[in-house]
Amino acid sequence: MRPRHLLAAACVAALFLAKPPAASAGGFAIDAQGGYFSIAAKDSAEAVLGSSGFGTFGGGLSYTFGKGIFVHAGVRVASRDGERVFVADPAGEVFKLGHPVSFRLVPVEFTLGYRFGRFGSFTPYIGVGGGVTSVKEESTVAGITEKESQSKGSGHARIGLEFGKKALRFAVEAQWSTVPDAIGVGGVSKIYGESNVGGFTILGKVIFTTARD
Amino acid sequence: MKLVSVVAGGLLALGFATGLASQADPQVFFMVRSERRPAPVYKPDQVIVGFATTSSQALAERAAREIGAVQMRRSLFGGRYLVTLVDGQDVPAALARLRAMPEVEYAEPNGIVRAYLSPNDEFYRYQWHMRLIGAERTWDIQRGDPSVVVAVLDTGIAYEDYGPFRKAPDWGGTPFVTGFNVFSGSNHANDDNFHGTHVASTIAEAANNSIGATGLCFGCALMPVKVLDADGEGTYFDVAEGLDYAIDFTQNGQKTVKVINLSLGGDGTSTTVTRAIDRAVAQGITVVAAAGNDGEDSVSFPASYASVIAVGAVDGRKQRAPYSNYGSALDVVAPGGDLDRNDDNDQYPDGVLQQTFSPTRARLEGRYDVFGYFFVEGTSEATPHVAAIAALLYHQGIKDPTAIRKAIESTAEDLGGSGRDDQFGYGLVRPAEALKGLGINK
Repeated sequence: MRPRHLLAAACVAALFLAKPPAASAGGFAIDAQGGYFSIAAKDSAEAVLGSSGFGTFGGGLSYTFGKGIFVHAGVRVASRDGERVFVADPAGEVFKLGHPVSFRLVPVEFTLGYRFGRFGSFTPYIGVGGGVTSVKEESTVAGITEKESQSKGSGHARIGLEFGKKALRFAVEAQWSTVPDAIGVGGVSKIYGESNVGGFTILGKVIFTTARD
Repeated sequence: MKLVSVVAGGLLALGFATGLASQADPQVFFMVRSERRPAPVYKPDQVIVGFATTSSQALAERAAREIGAVQMRRSLFGGRYLVTLVDGQDVPAALARLRAMPEVEYAEPNGIVRAYLSPNDEFYRYQWHMRLIGAERTWDIQRGDPSVVVAVLDTGIAYEDYGPFRKAPDWGGTPFVTGFNVFSGSNHANDDNFHGTHVASTIAEAANNSIGATGLCFGCALMPVKVLDADGEGTYFDVAEGLDYAIDFTQNGQKTVKVINLSLGGDGTSTTVTRAIDRAVAQGITVVAAAGNDGEDSVSFPASYASVIAVGAVDGRKQRAPYSNYGSALDVVAPGGDLDRNDDNDQYPDGVLQQTFSPTRARLEGRYDVFGYFFVEGTSEATPHVAAIAALLYHQGIKDPTAIRKAIESTAEDLGGSGRDDQFGYGLVRPAEALKGLGINK
């Protein structure tokens, strides 16, 4: 089962199992987040960067309304270094050529979500949204650096579980995102027929909130 | 069809060297392009015979006797034989008789191959062909390495002082591995024509030594393999012998030949040669060959063989050279020049400029030490540019012949119609682009 399917199943389960939130005063929260991002353009990333997994970190700001609805704006960075390669065809061997490459994704995301009622100290939540992802690739060949950057629209869905009742809280969150047509016009992504730099992200969050549940 | 060199008489003769061209005052030679005249496509008195692996030497000799052979030469590398027929015996009839014998696996005419040539001369500023393919940026990235050997199957190379032969002046530190002369069976593959030296110089003539011209992969090592005679002619049997030598060659237990340059070609096809080429490619060797100089819609053999990178020629305007063969088997084009043009306005016709010795002095006086820098046109001259690129790519990290071919093709500058076409193949080679490789999206 793919990560996005797991995420969808978890969202459906949460809707059935969770209880509605108690009325609350709502409030602002800021968070710092870090985790692991697995890019959808798996073959391209593995060929050039050696792995399809990225470390990622960032932060966000949210506001929760009184009935559990919240909005969140966040930004993260995911980057990895590798080297330029040559691949003759999708099934062909990857030949490493030694020229350094760095690849960086910066998704800026806006989420509309819903916080369910608390199970003890745990508060599940779900959300969907969209945003803009900056895609930047930079490589240096024999002293000449070439840069390519662009921004593409994105969409995402997420599910999380928040722990804590006071101002300082923690959360774990799973997210599936799509950033279509961001790559695939050149490089190895053209050979592999990959164009999406979205993927699956697991995040841990540290949250400071003014909300009172 | 036969290619013949014709000296330009009073036409363009600026100066003819009388000895080794000095570095300060290089001699300039002008040669008009080769002309074609009808010639036999195979040796009229020879056939190549491959016997089944279970066949013995005695069986082979008996088969040869039955068709009236006067001489039989066994390959140094395998179970094929070069059978010389009695005078007047018909090759097709001999082949028919041989093919009917159960111990014979195959029999074919000994096709004639020839160097694709036409000469002239001088220095890097006159090497428009290097600029046309972005050689300076290429050298920023990769200059080759002596661990990568390019075998040049040709008329030999002026690479050593041996008997009447002299080492050409602009090899600098270019290493040569042990060569092979298929005619003498010795390791002295000295050039007695001029063509092989010129071709090899495009691959690895020394650079940054303040003299002469430069090769594209001047860090590479060369292997001289003489498969063409003093007239620039050889046979498919000779080519196969040269291929096998290059394939089997080892240095310190390592097979170091990674590229084979064939600036030659002939008519028809040859099982003998294709088998050797298959073996080369299977062992990770990239084989590059000239498309031919007939200006026809037909790529010569062995360039036409699918496993070989077939190279056509363009002039300084990136137009197909009028002599360059074209067709569905053409893979890429490289600078081969056109001696009728001077598109870079350097007062010299636009041939490919490299060192070699005077073919006239060699032919008329048996002197192989009258060196100079010659402008030469032909698909023979285009081909070593591509062989050099293959060697550079190998050292950069692309170790597979199929991938090397794809790297060269996919980074070529598209000329003519959009995409691959029969006039230019995938287009003009761009070595720097090929060496850069691929990022995620660029």
